[in-house]
Amino acid sequence: MTSEVREKKIKTNGIWLNVAEKGDEGEPLVLLLHGFPETWFSWRHQIDFLSSHGYHVVAPDLRGYADSDSPPTHESYTVSHLVADVIGLLDHYGTAQAFVAGHDWGAIIGWSLCLFRPDRVKGFVSLSVPYSPRDPNLKPSDLFKSFGDGLYITQFQEPGRAEAAFAKHDCLTVMKKFLLTTRSDFWVAPPNTEIIDDLEVPSTLPDWITEEEIQVYADKFQKSGFTGPLNYYRAMDLKLQELEILAPWQGYKIVIPTKFIAGDKDIGNEGANGTIKYVKGEMFKSIVPNLEVVVIEDGHHFIQQEKSERVSQEILSFFNKLRNITE
Amino acid sequence: MEKIEHTTVSTNGINMHVASIGSGPVVLFLHGFPDLWYSWRHQLLSFADLGYRAIAPDLRGYGDSDSPPSHESYTLLHIVGDLVGLLDSLGVDQVFLVGHDWGAIIAWWMCMIRPDRVKALVNMSVEFHPRNPSVKTVDAFKALFGEDYYICRFQEPGDIEEDFAQVDTKKLVNGFFTSHNTRPPCIPKSVFRYLPDPPALPGWFTEQDVCFYADKFSQKGFTGGLNYYRAMNLSWELTAPWDGLQIKVPVKYITGDLDPTYHIPGTKEYIHEGGLKKHVPFLQEVVVMEGVGHFLQQEKPKEITDHIYGFFKKF
Repeated sequence: MTSEVREKKIKTNGIWLNVAEKGDEGEPLVLLLHGFPETWFSWRHQIDFLSSHGYHVVAPDLRGYADSDSPPTHESYTVSHLVADVIGLLDHYGTAQAFVAGHDWGAIIGWSLCLFRPDRVKGFVSLSVPYSPRDPNLKPSDLFKSFGDGLYITQFQEPGRAEAAFAKHDCLTVMKKFLLTTRSDFWVAPPNTEIIDDLEVPSTLPDWITEEEIQVYADKFQKSGFTGPLNYYRAMDLKLQELEILAPWQGYKIVIPTKFIAGDKDIGNEGANGTIKYVKGEMFKSIVPNLEVVVIEDGHHFIQQEKSERVSQEILSFFNKLRNITE
Repeated sequence: MEKIEHTTVSTNGINMHVASIGSGPVVLFLHGFPDLWYSWRHQLLSFADLGYRAIAPDLRGYGDSDSPPSHESYTLLHIVGDLVGLLDSLGVDQVFLVGHDWGAIIAWWMCMIRPDRVKALVNMSVEFHPRNPSVKTVDAFKALFGEDYYICRFQEPGDIEEDFAQVDTKKLVNGFFTSHNTRPPCIPKSVFRYLPDPPALPGWFTEQDVCFYADKFSQKGFTGGLNYYRAMNLSWELTAPWDGLQIKVPVKYITGDLDPTYHIPGTKEYIHEGGLKKHVPFLQEVVVMEGVGHFLQQEKPKEITDHIYGFFKKF
């Protein structure tokens, strides 16, 4: 399946990113941005599908991951850095405007791209994670405190802590704990428990992923470690900046055509104040007016793998519509 | 001057002191270093008379506005965030923007990242230069002018403050504001031990003006203003997403021909032979004022008001 995917290294924003590519270079460019803790491999189904339906697909290993560079300090992992990495990729391909899809942290990068460089985005599909405008009256650290010390984001802050916790398991097990999770809460571990110990590995694999595929991830993280990926959380800089660099976009409306896709059992969809309710609400509509919402029944967090055909179709139909192409 | 209103606005986590007067379309004036809302005292009054609402804040770190302690809170994104919050609290969608010195740098970047909030810009003294992805801002100045260049001397927290403290604040203020020296300002430590008495005050800068600035800076110190320089390399890192993007707002650029920035090698060609226009395609007018130094809005207040008004009334 991935045999015709080309991988190459591209220099962007002062670092080298490893990029997977498929499809005719003359076709419109689709940029796929993975999440935590993943690699371009998470998009393997969409890479094949979209490239065989008229798109030039580009999927990087993001900064800090797999075969891309990992700058050492978390200060190099702000959304400014991540968006500039993406702009450098688009510049490399000479793409004035790209179709973009992002999942998890890749979605956060995509939303930030819509804020910082709306001129470079034709349309954006967000998987799992909605746009969360910065609330000047609610510091991220205060919001997270309300979930208690067991919140995974809080546990990921201290350099070395999560790395040590993960290291108690082999990489294959770590990957299974993340990829196969069916939890819909906001990932809060009980007292005195590390989240990685709290996540469970099911006794059998679901039908949407194989042992060999999970091993692909395990091999990459065995080599590169988890510090790069964890730095994204540490760069939220809860002690000092509290996402202050987003202040210029206070109240900004994202008018670029966007589509939000999530499984109804994704992280954060449990309970009355879940993500999907937020995305369908009036407040969200007022800041992201040009939005379609798709909820996939029985879908969990790693949705583009678990429900690959559905997600591929939804992405294709959205981008095609923006090009005035109908099925 | 008594008709100018002084208010405090809560924005982006700080309290910002704002001087304002008049009613009508809003003109937002941004001062530089080491300056205050007071730099615009003449323009505030004239623009109110011309039918505008003229607004001049003390920027973060200055005067009666808050000064967060860490220089990391003074990036371009922080200051633009302050101004967006200010506009939101005033219920203003789009402004006419005027910037001078550091205020000009802030204005360029506000137009870069929030062009939707700016109708037109008149900028003064500091032209826009795109970020060089290979060299950090301060490192580039050090390579060009050496470690005694003022921007380099301003980097180490506490260092230049110690030098400033050796000099009577009024003498310092006079030196900053009235100098017509066009050489790149290099200030080795020795300069502060033997600072000559400045010449007599020019007509446009009175003893009252000196006292106003000296009082404010004695009270507040210079660290807030210096933090802008200390955040330059961090701003360089954080503005990478906008490499290659043009500033797409109508612009008029004004400088005095005795401004030291105008004398940096390459600057005249850059401004007059298309360099600036490449990055600011809607640059409509460039004015060089003869015999005028850095603080042009105070040196030639009427001419500057006329230049600004002449431009904004086109929109």
